[in-house]
Amino acid sequence: MNDIIDNNSQSSLLIKFMLLVAISAVVMAVDYRGTALQPVRTALTMLVYPFQYAVDAPFRVSNYLSDYFSDHKKMAAENRQLRTTLDIYAARNQKYHSIASENRRLREQLNAVSAVKEHFLLAEVLSVSGNTFRRKVTINRGANEDIYTGQVVIAGKNIYGQIDSIAPNSAEIMQIIDTDHAIHVRNQRTDSSALAVGTGKTNLLELKNIEANVDIKEGDIYVSSGLGQLYPADYPVAVVSSIAYNSRDSFMKVMARTLTDFTTTREVLAIWQAKKAAITKDIEPQSQLKKNKQKEKQKNKQITPRKKN
Amino acid sequence: MNSASLRFPGAMIASIALAFVLLLMPLSDSLLLWRPEWVALAFIYWCLTLPDKVSLFLAWFAGLFIDILFGSILGQHAFTMIIVVYMSLRLLPRISANTLWHQYALISLVLGTYLLINLWIMAATGNNPATWRYWLPLLSSLIIWPIYTWVLSWFRVERGRFDEF
Repeated sequence: MNDIIDNNSQSSLLIKFMLLVAISAVVMAVDYRGTALQPVRTALTMLVYPFQYAVDAPFRVSNYLSDYFSDHKKMAAENRQLRTTLDIYAARNQKYHSIASENRRLREQLNAVSAVKEHFLLAEVLSVSGNTFRRKVTINRGANEDIYTGQVVIAGKNIYGQIDSIAPNSAEIMQIIDTDHAIHVRNQRTDSSALAVGTGKTNLLELKNIEANVDIKEGDIYVSSGLGQLYPADYPVAVVSSIAYNSRDSFMKVMARTLTDFTTTREVLAIWQAKKAAITKDIEPQSQLKKNKQKEKQKNKQITPRKKN
Repeated sequence: MNSASLRFPGAMIASIALAFVLLLMPLSDSLLLWRPEWVALAFIYWCLTLPDKVSLFLAWFAGLFIDILFGSILGQHAFTMIIVVYMSLRLLPRISANTLWHQYALISLVLGTYLLINLWIMAATGNNPATWRYWLPLLSSLIIWPIYTWVLSWFRVERGRFDEF
């Protein structure tokens, strides 16, 4: 009697198992092939986000408390230093304003479209651990704050990564050291370019496509080149840490340390760039004559509706 | 261990939630490589102590949540988690569930399969970790197992031998 029951329960277990295996296989195939399951992923992300936030909370509080109870002397020193930095930045900002106004004047003279300003949003990185071999982190801002997939994220003045997936209140950032990530960079000293590919290891990038005869030294700083139209140009990315020649290979194996310290960074900035490229593309290739003609047309257009009114 | 029961309704889910908290615990990069497979271990524990109460569906959903947290392909950990539960339940009659060495043999086999199939799926979808350190969690899971079972034993109660009278 017992045997029969056991057999029954075992076969029902097997049926359940096979059913779930089939469902998993279908789900994996669909998720791998396309984006049809994106809503499901977003919904489940919303479900687990409070959980992540709760796990992160004690660490956030302890950080806050250690700040709160930190030494007065240390605090004062830090404060002094920050004020100095602020003064320096204020001075630089002053210069920037004069340059910006000059730039605007020049653009007016050239009849060019004015560049639209970037704007920033501060986001906090949740210190929860995820996949061991991927470099993705969760931040506490999401679609509600107009974060979008592919958005650039920086830390301080260095590049941090890009938004990989979003939910209403949270988003996942792929750091530039993720193995799936690559960014086109330019040597600040020599202007030669390379592709900085993530290694999956902390703070380490591999610079690819550097031929053996290229001038490169340890300590060279690579900045984003702006090619690929995702990352803005001239943001610092990494500093060369080791160069290895291989006689059988026409390329060098160059490793670079990122300027962002991914182990300590908890606050990042999401950037909104105006779609400059898209706007200027229509205007740039036209001659002055065409521009004038267009202006006339625009004037006519402006006049006609008025007549109708 | 036939005389055990859950401490309160939903104790199993609570223990899985605890496993998730441990999974999400912030660790330094070197420690992260040693992170035991908390959720899979919790399911193995319940398969050993209360095989009748373990649900494949619960395991599937727990795996799905790991997929969300890890950003891995949806269904990967769901698939491997039900393999953990199914294998444990099928292997259970073949071992003596109270003996530590038997438990170790079962965990090595089940977690080994779990990690191997995860590795296959990751490699097939283009995220091969390509390092032997991928297998460190297997070792750390075995090391932490006696302590972890002691913690998880809070979620069940041993029915006293006098209850039957």
